[in-house]
Amino acid sequence: MNSVLIVLTALIFSMAESNAAEAEDYLKEIKPVLQKRCYACHGALKQEKNLRLDTARQIIDSGIIESGELLKRLTSTDPETRMPQEAEALHAEEIEAIRSWIKNGMPAPVGELPEDDPASHWAFQRIEKPSLPPGGGAGNPIDAFLAVKHGEMGLKTQGEAERSLLLRRLYLDLTGLPPTKEQLTTSTPFESIVQELLASPQYGERWGRHWMDIWRYSDWYGLGKQLRNSQKHLWHWRDWIVNSLNTDKGYDRMIMEMIAGDELEPENPEVLAATGFLARNYYLFNRTTWLDDTIEHTSKAFLGLTMNCAKCHDHKYDPIEQTDYYRLRAIFEPHQVRLDAIAGEPDFEKNGLPRAFDDHPEAETQLHIRGNPATPDSEIKITAGVPILFAGFAPATKPVELPPYAWAPGTREYVQRDQLAAAKANLEGAKKALAKTQEKVANAAKSSEQTAGGEAITLKDTFDRKQPDLWTISGTGWTYNKGILIQTVPSQDKQFVRSKKSHPSDFDLTVDFRTTGGDNYKSVGIRFDVSDEGRSAHTVYASAHEAGPKVQISHTIDSKSSYPGGGKSAQPIRINEDYQLHVQVRGTLINVSLNGKFLLAYDLPNRNPGRLIELFAFDATAEFDSIEVVPLAPEITLKESGTPAQKTLDPMEELKLSRARLEEAELGVRVVEARILADKATLFGEGNGSPEEAARLELEHAVALASIGVLTAEAGKLEAAGKTLKSAEKAIGKSDAKYSPVRGSFKALETPEHKEPDYAATYAKTSTGRRLAFAQWITSRDNPLTARVAVNHLWLRHFGEPLVETVFDFGRQAPLPEHAALLDYLAVELIDSGWSMKHLHELMVTSAAWRRSSSNLDADPDTREKDTGNQFYWRMNPRRMESEVIRDSLTHLAGELDLTMGGPSVSPSQNTRRRSIYFKHSRDEKGQLLSRFDDADILACYRRSESIVPQQALALSNSSISIFMSKRVYTLFYEEEVERKFAEQVFEHILCRKPTSPELDACEDFLEDLKSESTQADSRIRLVHSLFNHNDFITIR
Amino acid sequence: MNPEASQSLARRQMLRYGGFGLGSIALQNLLQAEGGVGGPSGYPHAPPKAKSVIWLFMRGGLSHMESFDPKPALNQYQGKSIDETPYADVLNPDRFKDLRVVVVNDANGKQRTKIYPLQVGAKRYGQSGAEVSDWFPHIGSCVDDLSIIRSMWTTDNNHGAQVQFHSGRHMLDPRVPTIGAWIHYGLGSLNDSLPQFITMGSRFFDVRDGHYLGPAHDAVSLKVDPENPLAFAKPEEAIAERDQRLGFGLVNRLNRLTAEKFPHDPVLEARIKSYELAYRMQTAVPEVINFDGESEATKKLYGLDQKETKPFGEQLLAARRFVEKGTRFIQIMHGTGAAGSWDQHSKLKEKHSELSMQVDRPVAGLLKDLKQRGLLDETIVVFATEFGRSPGSQGSDGRDHHPFGFSVWMAGGGIKGGVVHGATDELGFHATEDPHYVTDVHATIMKQLGLDARRLEVPGHKRLDMDFGEPIKEIIA
Repeated sequence: MNSVLIVLTALIFSMAESNAAEAEDYLKEIKPVLQKRCYACHGALKQEKNLRLDTARQIIDSGIIESGELLKRLTSTDPETRMPQEAEALHAEEIEAIRSWIKNGMPAPVGELPEDDPASHWAFQRIEKPSLPPGGGAGNPIDAFLAVKHGEMGLKTQGEAERSLLLRRLYLDLTGLPPTKEQLTTSTPFESIVQELLASPQYGERWGRHWMDIWRYSDWYGLGKQLRNSQKHLWHWRDWIVNSLNTDKGYDRMIMEMIAGDELEPENPEVLAATGFLARNYYLFNRTTWLDDTIEHTSKAFLGLTMNCAKCHDHKYDPIEQTDYYRLRAIFEPHQVRLDAIAGEPDFEKNGLPRAFDDHPEAETQLHIRGNPATPDSEIKITAGVPILFAGFAPATKPVELPPYAWAPGTREYVQRDQLAAAKANLEGAKKALAKTQEKVANAAKSSEQTAGGEAITLKDTFDRKQPDLWTISGTGWTYNKGILIQTVPSQDKQFVRSKKSHPSDFDLTVDFRTTGGDNYKSVGIRFDVSDEGRSAHTVYASAHEAGPKVQISHTIDSKSSYPGGGKSAQPIRINEDYQLHVQVRGTLINVSLNGKFLLAYDLPNRNPGRLIELFAFDATAEFDSIEVVPLAPEITLKESGTPAQKTLDPMEELKLSRARLEEAELGVRVVEARILADKATLFGEGNGSPEEAARLELEHAVALASIGVLTAEAGKLEAAGKTLKSAEKAIGKSDAKYSPVRGSFKALETPEHKEPDYAATYAKTSTGRRLAFAQWITSRDNPLTARVAVNHLWLRHFGEPLVETVFDFGRQAPLPEHAALLDYLAVELIDSGWSMKHLHELMVTSAAWRRSSSNLDADPDTREKDTGNQFYWRMNPRRMESEVIRDSLTHLAGELDLTMGGPSVSPSQNTRRRSIYFKHSRDEKGQLLSRFDDADILACYRRSESIVPQQALALSNSSISIFMSKRVYTLFYEEEVERKFAEQVFEHILCRKPTSPELDACEDFLEDLKSESTQADSRIRLVHSLFNHNDFITIR
Repeated sequence: MNPEASQSLARRQMLRYGGFGLGSIALQNLLQAEGGVGGPSGYPHAPPKAKSVIWLFMRGGLSHMESFDPKPALNQYQGKSIDETPYADVLNPDRFKDLRVVVVNDANGKQRTKIYPLQVGAKRYGQSGAEVSDWFPHIGSCVDDLSIIRSMWTTDNNHGAQVQFHSGRHMLDPRVPTIGAWIHYGLGSLNDSLPQFITMGSRFFDVRDGHYLGPAHDAVSLKVDPENPLAFAKPEEAIAERDQRLGFGLVNRLNRLTAEKFPHDPVLEARIKSYELAYRMQTAVPEVINFDGESEATKKLYGLDQKETKPFGEQLLAARRFVEKGTRFIQIMHGTGAAGSWDQHSKLKEKHSELSMQVDRPVAGLLKDLKQRGLLDETIVVFATEFGRSPGSQGSDGRDHHPFGFSVWMAGGGIKGGVVHGATDELGFHATEDPHYVTDVHATIMKQLGLDARRLEVPGHKRLDMDFGEPIKEIIA
């Protein structure tokens, strides 16, 4: 700061005493252009061809004016010689200004100083604790630093916010949930509430979401089932974030675990989960893109460095060379990601721990000329390392020897136990199935058909007559005729017959119908879980669509329908043929059969609260003969999701199949047992397991599987199945067969051509230690950036504005901030407290600055005039809630929020009551309400937007969630008889402050206006709903 | 020129172009309008020639040879390898140096060398005599209103080229705002009651537009369903109209009272305004997509009478109605699935003829309708696709992706009619004459709208020359 002042003073003085007027043109018209367009290569950062253009003197002395070279280069039409290279030419008027300056004799300002050494940039200097301003020792240091500025500027600060608003601000800032009435009226001292809230688990959720923005959390996405981006089960990392914050794990430790948890504690899943930070960058198609993302966002998030600008060429503003970029790449080059098995769950689709590990320690990195992977530079040898500018305090890289579980995850006890248990469960299932088939074959002769008597029938109609007590009919074209319900008009509009009664949660539904015609899709079927307003339901239907007839399960949530591939079975649905559709549902598992043939077993993504049934025809005409819905008998076992569609078998064939399945299951158990023993023998030289025996059993098992394949093959695929069996049988004789070790992990495919089974079950036994060294360097006390960047993020999220405007760029483009001393003081506080975030939160929210009123009311006019933008924090900044806080608050105030923590991400439906942090958030899935209010862009979100658009007003006034929650809030206060008192209570409940008298008048007038045409309850609900639309509901005052 | 002077100049010019009915400035982001944060003024930088854009995008890759760039040489050399023709040089590896591959070793996006004949004939149309394939007879009949650009090129050989066509950046680059988002960001609103940037049809690769400009500049997704045109357009549970109106009234009254307690709060002022707009929007939007007031002749013009043309026709009719009421940018995606329906690696003849039938009549109807209403002068219609298809065959009856040369056309808003600009070689392989990268289309639109993209740049997000493109001056009237 001081040096800048001196330079300025020097400049002003020198200009005043010499040719100020003439040099003014240079300073005003030319220097800024050169600064923007030329200094990157000809200034302090670089001196290409030994030429510097950062002072007029240097330009003149270089001789390029005299020789005419300057103008020649600027105006050349040959891209090889024109300056600036690889960029737009200078504009004509800019060149003209240079020309006339030359013509005027090139007046140079006296005392013009060259650019500062780039290494002397403020943010590149080690962070030293500034001394507190005089007299600042007693109070909060934040206030001490700000008071100095207020004194200098003559600014008068606002007083403390009224207590209820202050508490609301505190609750929202620290937990993301507004306070209840009891919490508002307590006399507990403010400081104690701060402690309480920082200790509450909701703190970790609130701040977890903030850091998830910065660290780019995204659930996986791809195409259909193909994973292309991020990783499945990434929620383990989200839970790690929340837990780490709640236990106030040091920020330094968090960084180390995220970047190198696998090298730090290779066997500890709690620590490995942190490397989800790296796993998130996974990209199936292109390794360079994957690593580019890793480098760019690791640098931006932790260091505030735009390393990405040095990918194709040296950095234009910061002293970072292109080689630095590739040195960083070399740190990450060896790593890949995989899912490790989680105890109790052998199926990686259902659960698994996404984590990073060094898979190719020997992998080399090459510099890409102009950033193009197709042109690697073979001249330059790249070794892993940090940017040279900051290499002075980089620790040495030490390879890490990994314990067995890390490199041979299949040898973990629980992995073996779970795989064996799964094989045994399969065997038990096969035994039971065989017994059942045997019974069935025995009974087949006895009876043809026995109907289950005495079962509680929930809904039965043979459509002999119209039954308005049973059904609501909607749409045109429905008629009854001789025991048939007929839809005569094909339409794509919603036309349905909806039950008035609810169906049981677990039910067994049979419907007999014919599709008699239609236009295109010709879909006929039923819906269940239909909500009152029909906006959500599950549908099962048969479509006689010529392009692809099928039976399909689909889901409608908030009127949006999805047609999952797993819920589809291609079937030749014909017109005017009789069909019996049989639907069984237990929990989320659904089984569908058509004409007695099993077609689909599928897991519903959710169960809607609605329980109505609909019959419908879409784009079709149809005839329904009957429908029957009964509770699903407890003894019925439904097929698990993914069970292949059944081929029609006669009883004897079925018996044969059941026996084959049993044999396969028996072998399956033996294979796992043999593998476990063989692993022990081959990997650790223990026990008497035999790899040959394991291999032999695997081959036998393959034969058993192939035999089942033959028995179940659909027509047309029988031949192929036969071939598979033959070759499996032939393989048994081979002596060189290798067994497959137990797989305790699932490696993400390095490229789409790879196949998972081709990957080895064990990995490199040594990790390079590069990432660990890198993380130690980031968190070194000598690193000038890490703590400053973190403090800036914390400050932004408490005060609404950052101390350094460019939150992800602390390079030379970021000028010395106004509150640099405060920033440094807090950064050292962070480090000295053991990188405790809670310490920083506490410092910030207990400062007078944070506790100030956000209102301009009664503000000193002079202060407002001088600092309209509140750069000096003489009042608090009001902020708009983040999207998650809006939804969570709405739900919480209605008493509906489910505070369950952690676990797999849930579908972002309006019916879900979990906190928004647990919603799936990816390219393909995000909450509709949330996305209206600037939710996080998964690609980069260092700072949320706070837009104001009319669609937000529509979301809060029209969404079913805001309407529903308004009703719930009403029920909390409905006993209050006096309208004005009701209004007062709900006002205070939602906005956390007492209404003024005019505000109460407005509410009362509103209720009075509605009275004539609405019930009291409805009017009051509308009042609550309006208050949720109040600006101050979504504002943190 | 100092910014204030240029702004007031723009304002005066806008007044002269009074027919454009500029309602207010950049209300999409009200805070910006209130001066709360920095951003463009919402006024064009130069007198505009057009006020709105209808952007039609055929997802999957429409064959240029079988649409707007017929190549008889393909019939002449059919079945031959390209090496055996006089045009062997098109396979010179140097000419593929711009290609950037996302999916390494993908089965698609390869050079197909066995020449596949044209699957459809072509005719000359109009006074200009420009050739158009027989799959597009209706659009052909409008050819004197079009500028066909036959020399487009891009660098992605896979469908990520859809992102590239909209943003100018390859899939492997960081995501940047799309052309619609830039226009939304740069230009003020023409009708505060309507969303100014609308998208219809399915998208896949990049469902956001604003990126670093912020989510407020994402397109508003819309369906041609008066009951449920856009998310939260009307109460999801029945609320009486009167109750809702009174509710909005109460919100307004309470917010104004709050302004007494918290004065000089630009956010609060903007919020109050946003509720006024929202209340109008929920009636205005369904009104626009209600076609009851349209004559049968108009409906027929857009193909609403035929089931093949109805879905796209409805979207185009809605687009005209939005343009009429003052929406800035309407982007309509044709084709479903991840890649897009136009992706004929096989069955090109069968599928392309089916798909072109779905769009041909509605698009021609749109052009004619805009023209007869005098709207074509101030509306730019763009008909584009992410890349063309390979002159060589893929399998027995398909064509592969082809980024090296393909066609788009533009019409209206000061774009010349009856122009064929640029050319590919005889095989339709490379854009050889006046080649244009995709951002040249963006630059042309920006120019017609009076925007200087370089003045919209956002600090911290450096744009390259290639991102800006150059206006295609030959097609500008």
